[in-house]
Amino acid sequence: MSSSSVYPTPINAFKQSKRSVLSVIVDNEPGILARIVGLFSGRGYNIEALNVTVVDVKKNLSRITIETLGEEKVISQIIAQLEKLVPVHSATNLANLSESYEAEICLVKIEFENEEQDQKILNFADIYRSRTVQKRQNIVVYEISGTSERINKFLDDLDTIGGIKVELVRSGPIGLGI
Amino acid sequence: MNNENEFTGADILLKALKEQEVDTIFGYPGGAVLPIYDAIFGQNFLKHVLVRQEAGAVHAAEGYARSSGKVGVLLVTSGPGVTNVVTGLTDALMDSIPIVCITGQVPSHLIGTDAFQECDTTGITRPCTKHNYLVKDVSKLSETIHEAFKIASSGRPGPVLIDIPKDVQFAKSKYISKKDISFREHRIKAGSKNVDKNFVEELVNHIKKSERPIFYVGGGCLNSGHQASQELIKLVNKTNIPITTTLHGLGCFPGEDKSSLGMLGMHGNYEANLAMNKCDLMINVGARFDDRVTGRLDAFSPDSIKFHIDIDQSSINKNVKVNFHTNTDITLTLKEINSFIDSNNIDFSDKDYSNWWGQINEWRKKECLHYEQGDEVIKPQHAISRLYELTKQKDTFVTTEVGQHQMWAAQYYKFSKPNRWITSGGLGTMGFGMPAAVGAQMANPDSLVIDIAGEASFLMNIQEIATAVQYKLPIKIFILNNEYMGMVRQWQELLHGSRYSESYVDALPDFKKLAESFNAVGVRAKDISELDDTINEMISIDRPVIADIWVDKKENCFPMIPSGAAHHEMLLSKYDKENPENQEKGKVLV
Repeated sequence: MSSSSVYPTPINAFKQSKRSVLSVIVDNEPGILARIVGLFSGRGYNIEALNVTVVDVKKNLSRITIETLGEEKVISQIIAQLEKLVPVHSATNLANLSESYEAEICLVKIEFENEEQDQKILNFADIYRSRTVQKRQNIVVYEISGTSERINKFLDDLDTIGGIKVELVRSGPIGLGI
Repeated sequence: MNNENEFTGADILLKALKEQEVDTIFGYPGGAVLPIYDAIFGQNFLKHVLVRQEAGAVHAAEGYARSSGKVGVLLVTSGPGVTNVVTGLTDALMDSIPIVCITGQVPSHLIGTDAFQECDTTGITRPCTKHNYLVKDVSKLSETIHEAFKIASSGRPGPVLIDIPKDVQFAKSKYISKKDISFREHRIKAGSKNVDKNFVEELVNHIKKSERPIFYVGGGCLNSGHQASQELIKLVNKTNIPITTTLHGLGCFPGEDKSSLGMLGMHGNYEANLAMNKCDLMINVGARFDDRVTGRLDAFSPDSIKFHIDIDQSSINKNVKVNFHTNTDITLTLKEINSFIDSNNIDFSDKDYSNWWGQINEWRKKECLHYEQGDEVIKPQHAISRLYELTKQKDTFVTTEVGQHQMWAAQYYKFSKPNRWITSGGLGTMGFGMPAAVGAQMANPDSLVIDIAGEASFLMNIQEIATAVQYKLPIKIFILNNEYMGMVRQWQELLHGSRYSESYVDALPDFKKLAESFNAVGVRAKDISELDDTINEMISIDRPVIADIWVDKKENCFPMIPSGAAHHEMLLSKYDKENPENQEKGKVLV
């Protein structure tokens, strides 16, 4: 056997892959999430983040937002496959809309040990305009929302402070065409 | 509560089947479907065919659907009944066959308790159905069944499963007629009814400009209905463009017509594959650029403008990027192309593509399907050729198992009409052909139904002979017996240094005696002198027949595009050697 793989190497594939946020409107019925998640795993697509909520109680509709990675060709194929699912009304790549708005929410719990750390944390929280949810003694909880990129930056900055303990939860991006 | 207007879930199911004009159902009883079987007992519009294993039911439903154009229906019990149909459901999904599978489930209150014969039916079958349902409320049952039929047969057809817990089969509700249900468009996904005029105009303009056009036609043409094939024939005759079909497209265009290049792909005709490689305009009608067809993608038809008609949006640009596409139904689109040509008086007589046909006729001279029949051992190709010659005047349906015999059948048996050829293409399910023949014979009781089989495939669903015998279905099982899993052996010979690991089938039954023990008839041809008589005898007997045809054990199926090779790198015979670099690459592919 030759040592090089005959399949296109993943490194190349990822070079061209783009982050996309897909917005999917579905009938809110049993199994719909499993159908979508199964489609992704079965066909070898990635789910980076996933958000599901009922958005119209009367019409029984949910909106599912999926962040995924893939080349353009793969993303179009994902959209086409999603639209084949019976309960799916529509699947949209937000990037293909002329205008869309994207946001994510993140809760961060930070445990610190000293005043200096506290000051630095306060400073970053101020810069990023995050909201204090709770603060007592050596624990502070912030809520920060905005684009995923902005949240990433905030978390990266927190990372520069040594010796603190961070625990967090993120909603994954949600988005809307405008 | 008005009891007169209320029916049990089991009765609602039967009422819905009746309204859907289902007259045949394939099934196997069990604990979780007993109420439905009780309802079947007291009626006479629905004929139940008792198979011998659930896999037989699903392939029979496929054979029924393919040969009749109707939805095939089956009924099986929970647990193992369901898991036994998973292969067939996947087969139907891959080959776009409309079937509705009714499954029993343990009573609602036991779901999730690991009850006897419980399995997560909708979970297991989710990736292998077009859609599936678990009906927890009997008042939703009528609507669910009617929607299931609509989904199975609309757009790109496929299998739909309805799981009905036993308590729902007993519970009572009103029956809702399909007339009173307003189907929601987004769920049915029937495809656009509006023909893309732009596409049609572009296509006709490109046909006029092209020097080397070709039609590449697949199973979608079949699923669009007989009219699609009529429109296709008109268009081909009008334009004189050569046409090649996929395995499933066989029969959409008459195989013996002068414009037909036969099947393309891995074991397709040399002229068909070369024409695909060298064409400047490719018109794909309901085919999906499957890997058996395209060969190595980076060398697939490099110089052509590609048009693609496919009702399934996800088939567009999946494997091969096309220049123009439409998702409107094939019949509607072809009709519009024909009427556009007629109403604009576009004449193709100056455009006879004589250079292109000249080139194609040069390729034809290679006689890629040539074989040498000696005067003793039967060549499998010859067995199929003789079978074709001796049955072509009859009203014949052919099913197959999977392997070499399937490819020889596709190469040497010619089909002039759609829906006459029933084979497992996408999934490649060994054991498909015999139960499929049972289904095809149920749908076409007066026709000749032949399962072209290999002995290894046949053994996978051999129990269904009993079904054929019970219902007096005179199906013919034509076994090309070479004692090997022939296609496995061929790949081992070509790619694995002739190390025939586990591909020899030792201890085969005596198929003649086996037939007799089932109360069927067994016939046998040991050499060429017995072949025609055996075929004629087989056809003449009005009972299920197993014909054991002893063929050359070492014969390989050519021509062949080895895995990883391109159309123009086809091997014509065992004397052609493959490029060693391709061979290494091909080895890891399927």
